[in-house]
Amino acid sequence: MPKKIPLVDTDIHERVQYQELLEYLDEPFKHYIQNCHWIQEKHMPYTQPSVAGVDRADAVIPDGRPAGSDLSFMQEQLLDDVGHKFGILTGALDPSPSSMHGWYEMAAALASAYNDWQIDKWLEKDERLYGSVHVAAQDRDEAVREIERVGSHPKMVQVLLPIDDIMWGDPYYHPVFEAAEKHNLMIGMHHNEPPVYYGKWPRYFIEWHTLIPTAHMKQVTNMIFNGVFEKFPNLGLMMIEGGFTFIPHMMWKMDQQFRDLRHEVPWLKRKPSDIMKKHVRFCTQPSEELSKKDFMSLLEQMGTDEMICFATDYPHWDYDSPHRALPNLDRELKEKIYGENAKKFYPKIPNSRERYDEGTSRL
Amino acid sequence: MMKEQVVCKTTDIQPGEMMESFFGKQNVLICRTPDGEFYAFMNQCNHQGAPLDKGMMCGATTEHSKPGEYHYCHKGEILRCPWHGREFDIKNEGRMLANPDKKLPSFKVRVEGVEVIIYK
Ligand code: FES
Repeated sequence: MPKKIPLVDTDIHERVQYQELLEYLDEPFKHYIQNCHWIQEKHMPYTQPSVAGVDRADAVIPDGRPAGSDLSFMQEQLLDDVGHKFGILTGALDPSPSSMHGWYEMAAALASAYNDWQIDKWLEKDERLYGSVHVAAQDRDEAVREIERVGSHPKMVQVLLPIDDIMWGDPYYHPVFEAAEKHNLMIGMHHNEPPVYYGKWPRYFIEWHTLIPTAHMKQVTNMIFNGVFEKFPNLGLMMIEGGFTFIPHMMWKMDQQFRDLRHEVPWLKRKPSDIMKKHVRFCTQPSEELSKKDFMSLLEQMGTDEMICFATDYPHWDYDSPHRALPNLDRELKEKIYGENAKKFYPKIPNSRERYDEGTSRL
Repeated sequence: MMKEQVVCKTTDIQPGEMMESFFGKQNVLICRTPDGEFYAFMNQCNHQGAPLDKGMMCGATTEHSKPGEYHYCHKGEILRCPWHGREFDIKNEGRMLANPDKKLPSFKVRVEGVEVIIYK
């Protein structure tokens, strides 16, 4: 029987329902939802045309509530069934405080309410779950205040920023990174609407979904060349839900450009690829179907096997099964990708190498 | 492994619907197409293992579509996975529409009176 591997799932979407936020919201914001039925405007003109749209059909709660909205159902279907060691909650993005295109006061109020709800209903109810600080980062100073308010919670491991129409490496946003670093929080980035090109959607979902990595590439490039990691040496960036097969291209391209154009970004003291290796991590989901040979050659091109971290993206339709999504890898490599890399990356996740026999997944 | 088994009654499944059942220990999916015929597959997607009975039986846009013009047919004859949405043609050996070389493992089915029987 194969030995069990401790799984750290770096992308799990819990979902709030607007009604549940009310008890955590101050007035007048509560009033806007309770009496005026406000919901965040969303624009996506298409869907994954399956039973439950962009959710796994079997993850919809049996009583009809949306996927990801119930802890005990998630425990049963995901955490207990797969045997998670740890899981990192990354929000359902609706409402998504950081991607409100206006009314920043409401965005900031939603962020605070969301964080309190997340701590109350999830982080303090299951010891395996860790969380992401939601902020309305378009209002930089409010974001810093929110990080100061909840960032020291022992189970908050990162600040979540959307990949949207703001490039976060801009020095204007550096106080957000300063606050994160101060609280031992990493930065998690996840795409939102519309992530592929600014202000518009491609004609088809398949184009949008194919091109999501390009939105991730923009942010990584922007963060590195704006010197974020030179300025905040203890900061790390987790790119969530963009996949990983584009990493070698980015490393080669940035290094080559740096050799030619270094004069423009003289604050970089290291090769861009070295900065990436040290500070940036990528969730594996959504993984393409790679053979073991292709997978290993990709790692070789990256020059490290410590940059990618397994994620399921539960309960979304493009969920990656821990048993089936990646090729069958050698044990030591599995331990890294399914658990050790994430544990090393997040300073607030317990990092003792445990005995491989309790409460851990059999992969 | 048993050779044959009654997995459900004909009245258990309306045309256009499906249900899971067991063939020995094997979790199987029984589909009844709109014309009333029965088909049986392994109830596990050949991609990443999703439970197919949580998906849907529907139609599909076909290869006769032209850019910007949808041609839709096979209503109720396509099984769509509840996770990544891969489509399998129930009446064509469970072949995947996007890659017909791949098919769902299937079982033979016959109906005797009201009994739906799966056999190897
Ligand atoms: S598991 Fe069925 S399409 Fe992926």
